[in-house]
Amino acid sequence: MDSAFVRSWIRAAAEDVAAHRDYLTQLDAAIGDADHGVNMDRGFTAALAALEDLDGGSPGRVLEVVGTAIVFKVGGAAGPLYGSGFRQAAAALGDEETFDGEALLRALRAGLEAIQRLGAAVEGDKTIVDAWLPAVAAFERELRSGGSAADAASRASVAADEGAKETIPLQARKGRASYLGARSVGHQDPGATSTAMLFGALARVARGLPA
Amino acid sequence: MTAERGIIQSVERAARILKALGSGQARLGVTELSDRLGIAKGTVHGLLRTLERQELVEQDRDSGKYRLGPAMLQLGNAFLDGHELRGRSLLWADSLASRVTEAVRVGVLNGSNALIVHHVFRPDDSVQILEVGASIPWHACALGKAIVAFVEPAHRAELLAGELPRLTGSTVTDPEALREMLDGVAAAGYAFEDQEAIVGEVEIAAPIFDHRGKPVGAIAIAGPVERLLSAGPDEQLVSAVKQVARNLSRDMGAGRVAARGG
Repeated sequence: MDSAFVRSWIRAAAEDVAAHRDYLTQLDAAIGDADHGVNMDRGFTAALAALEDLDGGSPGRVLEVVGTAIVFKVGGAAGPLYGSGFRQAAAALGDEETFDGEALLRALRAGLEAIQRLGAAVEGDKTIVDAWLPAVAAFERELRSGGSAADAASRASVAADEGAKETIPLQARKGRASYLGARSVGHQDPGATSTAMLFGALARVARGLPA
Repeated sequence: MTAERGIIQSVERAARILKALGSGQARLGVTELSDRLGIAKGTVHGLLRTLERQELVEQDRDSGKYRLGPAMLQLGNAFLDGHELRGRSLLWADSLASRVTEAVRVGVLNGSNALIVHHVFRPDDSVQILEVGASIPWHACALGKAIVAFVEPAHRAELLAGELPRLTGSTVTDPEALREMLDGVAAAGYAFEDQEAIVGEVEIAAPIFDHRGKPVGAIAIAGPVERLLSAGPDEQLVSAVKQVARNLSRDMGAGRVAARGG
């Protein structure tokens, strides 16, 4: 995989976020400020614009530019969380021109760790972590059992989707939704849902890789 | 459940039913409530019928399920109206919010939490959720720190020795660091919180005192980090919130010395 792969991933993610903008905002209206869809769309649009201006660049550099655009353009908690997630994933990829499944796993894990450091959230808190953490675990399991990066990305996407759905019965313990107490139960977490979209885009782009 | 002396089981059960209906799943049937609470169906039914007579619950005609009734809203409002501080803060909070165009919150100390008793939305067109009723651990928000900095030393020590949960990576959970922070708050007359409760959000709060000079609560400006914080908390916001807290303290009967924070 190379920087063209990373660019395709971000483009696919931006498309998904734009297509589901209202859905994300709707989810956020139940337990937040009803701005997650608009925020994420603005962030990814800015990320694409920043990538237009970036000539070449290593895969790590591409992700770094994405992370920075998101930090500056996405308000609320999502901006700092996703932004630092992408930037730490970028740092894990380093300056290499290409990367394999193992390197991608390390990058995804570095992103998760950055998000957890910033938000102090653990699994079950009804946050991004509830989709990202099982996705990384599934990605790793598939690689360990001999699967390709594309197989791993596909497993990760399924796990992220499931993780996002499993936030529905949870009571939020982090973020503004936690202010609602028991009233946050019964709603799917918008952050976990947008994370599932990122992994869905990754899986889709990875399916196009040569076997 | 073991019976405690003086506890009336049926009242406790009725309360548990109300709390279950107050959770996210707004409508529950008799069987669901029975399963969830471990109370026999017949008992649940009787309790619901009784609560319904008092309009504390109501039954949905189509589904037959129960939800909270209109009397609950009246009780919630009555609770809020009972707060003298809340009543006196309404106009001050409104004017502060429109002056600084940020959200304003008024809180009191409830156990180890700051309980939000009044919340004025940021005056723009954005959708915001009402935070009245939210409880935030005192050490993770400016409201809590502004109050705790001025409570009796023994009370402060007790809170510092209590549980100090981490809400974000920036929450300060070391009692020694918090003690120093509180001394700083007491000296400066205002408290500041940088993403210690929610990532991306900061708060600036000043304490409100009563006629005995005791802290009865605090008022705060809350908003996104990029607007409220540059190198430190925005000076104009700090002076605005301190001024309003002083005025509120005067309304609460505090003398000139008590309405400190100058």
